[in-house]
Amino acid sequence: MSGERARRIEGALKVTGRAEYAGEVRPDGMLHAALVQAEITCGDVVGIDDSAARHTPGFVDQVSYDDARSLAPSTATALIREPVVHFPGQPVGLTAADTLLAARTAAARVRVDYVERPSVAAIDQALDEAYAPAMAGRIIGASHRGDPAVALTGAHLVVRNRYQTAVNNHHPMEPHVVVCWWEGEQVVVHTSTQAVYGTRAIIAHALAMPADDVRVVCRYLGGGFGCKGQLWWPWMLWTLTASKRTGRPIRLELTRAQMFTLVGRRQETVQDLAVGFDATGRLVAIEHDVLAQTSTHGEYCDTTAEVSRRLYACPNVRTLHRLVRTNEPQPIPMRAPGTAPGTFALESALDEAAEQLGIDPVELRVRNFADHDHDADVPWSSNSLLQCYQVAADRFGWAQRPASATVVDGRWRIGWGMATTCYPAHRQPCRVRVRLQPDGTIVVQCGTQDMGSGTYTVLAQMVADALGVPLSQVTVELGDTLLPEGPFSGGSQVTASMFPAARQATDALRAQLAELGMGHDETLADAVQRIAPDGIEAEGAATANADIDVRCMSFGAIFTEVGVDADLAEIRVRRVTAAFATGRVLNPLLTESQHIGGLIGGIGMTLLEQTVTDRSSGRIIGDNLADYLVPVHADMPEFDIALIDEDDTYLPGGVKGVGMLGTAGIQAAIANAIHHATGTRVRHLPIRIEDLLHELPATTPGALPSMSE
Amino acid sequence: MSGVAFAYSRAADVADAVARGGAPGAAFVAGGTDLLQLWKAGRATPTELIDVYGLGLDGIGVDGDELSIGATARLSDVARHPFVVDQHPLIAEAVLASASGQIRNMATVGGNLLQRTRCPYFRTAGMACNKHRPGSGCGALDGEDRHAALFGAGSSCVATHPSDLAVALVALDATVEVSGARGVRRVGLSELYRLPGERPDVDTTLAAGELITRVLVPRAASIGRLATYVKVRDRASFEFALLSVAAVIRIDAGTIVHARLVCGGVAPAPWRLPAGEALLIGQKPERGVFTVAAAAAVEGAPPLPGNSFKVELLRRALVRTLTTIATGS
Ligand SMILES: Cc1cc2nc3c(=O)[nH]c(=O)nc-3n(C[C@H](O)[C@H](O)[C@H](O)COP(=O)(O)OP(=O)(O)OC[C@H]3O[C@@H](n4cnc5c(N)ncnc54)[C@H](O)[C@@H]3O)c2cc1C
Ligand code: SF4
Repeated sequence: MSGERARRIEGALKVTGRAEYAGEVRPDGMLHAALVQAEITCGDVVGIDDSAARHTPGFVDQVSYDDARSLAPSTATALIREPVVHFPGQPVGLTAADTLLAARTAAARVRVDYVERPSVAAIDQALDEAYAPAMAGRIIGASHRGDPAVALTGAHLVVRNRYQTAVNNHHPMEPHVVVCWWEGEQVVVHTSTQAVYGTRAIIAHALAMPADDVRVVCRYLGGGFGCKGQLWWPWMLWTLTASKRTGRPIRLELTRAQMFTLVGRRQETVQDLAVGFDATGRLVAIEHDVLAQTSTHGEYCDTTAEVSRRLYACPNVRTLHRLVRTNEPQPIPMRAPGTAPGTFALESALDEAAEQLGIDPVELRVRNFADHDHDADVPWSSNSLLQCYQVAADRFGWAQRPASATVVDGRWRIGWGMATTCYPAHRQPCRVRVRLQPDGTIVVQCGTQDMGSGTYTVLAQMVADALGVPLSQVTVELGDTLLPEGPFSGGSQVTASMFPAARQATDALRAQLAELGMGHDETLADAVQRIAPDGIEAEGAATANADIDVRCMSFGAIFTEVGVDADLAEIRVRRVTAAFATGRVLNPLLTESQHIGGLIGGIGMTLLEQTVTDRSSGRIIGDNLADYLVPVHADMPEFDIALIDEDDTYLPGGVKGVGMLGTAGIQAAIANAIHHATGTRVRHLPIRIEDLLHELPATTPGALPSMSE
Repeated sequence: MSGVAFAYSRAADVADAVARGGAPGAAFVAGGTDLLQLWKAGRATPTELIDVYGLGLDGIGVDGDELSIGATARLSDVARHPFVVDQHPLIAEAVLASASGQIRNMATVGGNLLQRTRCPYFRTAGMACNKHRPGSGCGALDGEDRHAALFGAGSSCVATHPSDLAVALVALDATVEVSGARGVRRVGLSELYRLPGERPDVDTTLAAGELITRVLVPRAASIGRLATYVKVRDRASFEFALLSVAAVIRIDAGTIVHARLVCGGVAPAPWRLPAGEALLIGQKPERGVFTVAAAAAVEGAPPLPGNSFKVELLRRALVRTLTTIATGS
């Protein structure tokens, strides 16, 4: 039932290996594909010679630009139609062969001739070419209200700093994969994607075929975090092209190294932030300038400065996003896009201000609470941030916070820090079909996909709840374009979009049954047998949110305890207590799990994750998961998650997104705790040993209890 | 990018392995946890793999005055073997600080000692690297150098050796037994490794086709010995050492009579710090002494921009290691 802590209904299938992921589909006669990758950083492809590759035993076909030229031009086909190399490692062709080894061997034998052009390998190599994009994510790139410049001059306190965040890669456990085949004029595509319908649309467009002739299937996803979308499409389309020409099913799976370059990244940011306060700690002005990287073939800008526009009450705010084009891979949204780097800057600056003003960091935020969205000057649909602060602070024990840099536990200096998090609540059009089977069981269908976060389970819960049947009687079908169209999985919106659609469908089903004369105390099973022996079905639909006269956002408060080794400066997060308000909570177990997963991603971004680019060649180095560090089990702190249930009457269904929230705010909460532990402010991510070492006094005998024992 | 095809066979016995291992393009494979990574990245291109995993060289036991650990003993078995835990817990400590449980279940002692550097340029397809191809240049020297060496590097290569186990073994004066075309020989573990010099592509003094059969650790080293291993890293587990220290001291009548200070992750091989060792001998095991010895030990280490913090970090790690030994905590 809704609100119940139901476990994932597909969990047993997954842990026993019976859940079939896209890459596990094995049609007869399947070929394997491999990508030929550019060895230059920037330039034109002037010749491709595959004569040596063709002699590889098992070789079947090679496709490249010429073979894709008949595809319709679009951003999804540009990289496979136009022989231009924008970044090192960009695919310039694809080989297909009987075995994976043969395909890769052949790929290594394809000779490519280039005319190289000068390249830009890092944003600081082309700062003078920075430009302001019209849009940052879904919002206008620049904003201005009041007169922040004047307000800063008159402010009691101004905290002005530069904050920097590194390039991160998404790295879901499951790599990108496609297995596809043609059946006459129709194509079947099993692929690991956050958008089966979006993928269908792009294929139909590129190949100029009716959408109904394209079937895209993705029943299970091994994670996505934002990278299983548009940047995968070019390489998938080359595979489809090869499959059509050879008449054989083909499978392409990216290697881990390729996932560093081909499917997007969290862009690095350089943020100049100035926040001004009056003597009572009220914000009088914010100026937030963001510089970020984008590629030479695409434009993407995170909504990094959005938090400065609306998280707090402030009369004078100016924000600006600028981009620099480099010959590096294309950035795309990664879990908590914009709010993760943006809150790192803003919430770090607030901590500094609290210290300088002598106001408790929680109290400072309470004083600046925005009772409505000051940017759009509209009310919130709901905003329980004040309650989040209170609940999380209580559970954490914040009132006992000691003075800075005083607490020691063995070899650890201990610090406490906190920060606010937020994320916009979105909704997309969504259709859900509910079928009552002759045996009284229920089948629910929706053409969205489950990223692994529990979509199967919450949809089953919604329907079981509405129809008053046990969860075990509900079967859910997702991840197939033969099902009614559902939303893409991104922006924490799937559940919020499904809920109203599922409600409509179950209401319609009940109405039909009533019309057919279902008795008041009759069970569904009895009723269906009596009045609709073939079963009956109904559909419901939800629309996208328009958000014109109301602003919908999720909020949360995150508190952390961090230990810093007093001598060696190793940093470990010990405890995280957080309260999140996300509208109606449909399944507390899955919701907590989403928050914990989000927080872990944020811990990684704060302390470990960094995609390293060689500055002279622009190539990513250490492109493996031994060198690209993400948190492991031993890094896990103790998590205490509080869910603040909200009754949001504006939102249909009252559901807000969950997935992004934990991945923002945590960065500043940790940085602030590190400052509390050590007295050092680090204003870039990741924060590592070398950032703290020289600021930590080498301990003298007896200075620390554990060392003098 | 990925590896190209190779032939694979199991060695029948040591003689067979040695006879075939010297052929051009031939390589031994044990657990494969390092070699196959390099193969996938296109950085190792064997044409013939000779599997030595099943040669039965996995025994752990006492041989006269020495503890003998077979070359194909798995790291997980080494870490929990009663002889190792009793007599040389330093080895178990270093092994348990290595890799992950899954990898230790596959990885062998011989493979661990001969694993190659983690220098990201060496491990990334297409990057200039003298260790991969002599004369192609060193990407790390002017590039990302957080992982670069403090000691023993040359202008050709600044890579470090990543093994934790090797650091502990050098601190215990271990030797390795090697079989080759010219018979069996023994070599001190410190002499197994060589500095980059003109041939950064050659990590060791092993001749082509020479097979490590076992590692021998003097048991006498354990008598009255105090030792510990400290590994510094960004995440709490499953990461190579940013740097590490193995220290062994023996105390007689209140003064230090034997000292070994060996550090890992900062040189092309496990690196002894003789200046620091000398300042410990004849002294009381006190923090003041440790601080002086640690300062002397790291003196003159010439850092690069991205790894200069490691000089101070190493100094502190030395003090931490010695203090931990002395206080038993
Ligand atoms: C993600 C990851 C993290 C890791 N973290 C750590 C860590 O923290 N600390 C650490 O010390 N190590 C770490 N390792 C390295 C790991 O310990 C080594 O990969 C492993 O010990 C190698 O053993 P193997 O048997 O798999 O060697 P293989 O990969 O089979 O061989 C490695 C090399 O040794 C040669 N070889 C193997 N056996 C012999 C022999 N008997 N005689 C001569 N030559 C031989 C092979 O030809 C090859 O060149 C990590 C590895 C991975 C993948
Ligand atoms: S340090 Fe050595 S291994 Fe690293 S790039 Fe330079 S030559 Fe290659």
